[in-house]
Amino acid sequence: MSNAPPDRTVIQPNGRPRPLSPHLQTWRWHITMTASILFRFTIGAISVGALIGVAWLATVAFGPEAYATTLALAGSPFGLFIGFGLTAVLFSLLLNGGRHLINDTGRGLTLRSADLLSSIAVYAPVPLAVAFFALLVVSGRISL
Amino acid sequence: MSHPARYRNGVRVSERHGAGEWTLEKILLAALMPLGLWIASTAFTLSGQGYDAVLQWFASPVNAALLAATALILFGFASLAWKVIIEDYIHVAGTKALLIGLVNLICLAAAAASVFFIVRLALGSAPLPAGFGI
Repeated sequence: MSNAPPDRTVIQPNGRPRPLSPHLQTWRWHITMTASILFRFTIGAISVGALIGVAWLATVAFGPEAYATTLALAGSPFGLFIGFGLTAVLFSLLLNGGRHLINDTGRGLTLRSADLLSSIAVYAPVPLAVAFFALLVVSGRISL
Repeated sequence: MSHPARYRNGVRVSERHGAGEWTLEKILLAALMPLGLWIASTAFTLSGQGYDAVLQWFASPVNAALLAATALILFGFASLAWKVIIEDYIHVAGTKALLIGLVNLICLAAAAASVFFIVRLALGSAPLPAGFGI
């Protein structure tokens, strides 16, 4: 607090000036911040993904023609792009959620382990999604 | 406050339902770890497969039950997680209550729709809208 500029104050609703609390642009960037922000983003994205999943269920329940439309859409460049994104989001939920669960028990909170867990959660989902799609293509399930 | 402050492991326990919601959110997230892996393997199995293969997959009671459980747990987790996010950023009481209500409504409707579709597919029902007189 001692090195905070004295003029950085905010007037509270009760009229008292109070020091402005540090915000994102005040802190030095750290990978744990990215992991935390990405987890919120992941929750938003997985919610959209789950709704897309319900739409997929609906088209299967509505019969072969509706499902054929879904299959064509999923195989189109736009569909593959969305599919890739949702795969990365699913891996992000698993890795970032796992990090959060470990940290929630009070473990993995030393600098080294917090950095390691956060780095895995931030950097691993996209390569894992690439590997997932590479396997899909190699096994002949989808064609690009 | 009407209740005396309670402490656990030197940390003050929430006075109302906050601790319970936090615990439930963590239990649901923990359940999503194996279920999410299973969803990834299912997505791999069903990618690019035809209608008959998908129906065959749903004919297995284990698959249907696990998918229904995943839908219920995921939408339950989503409603709690969105509640936390909304409470962090929206500070107008009415707007906050409205948004939380809206999220709960969407999650409830999506969970109900999921179970409805999964049960029909698991039982081998005729394609919709059969049975609804349309």
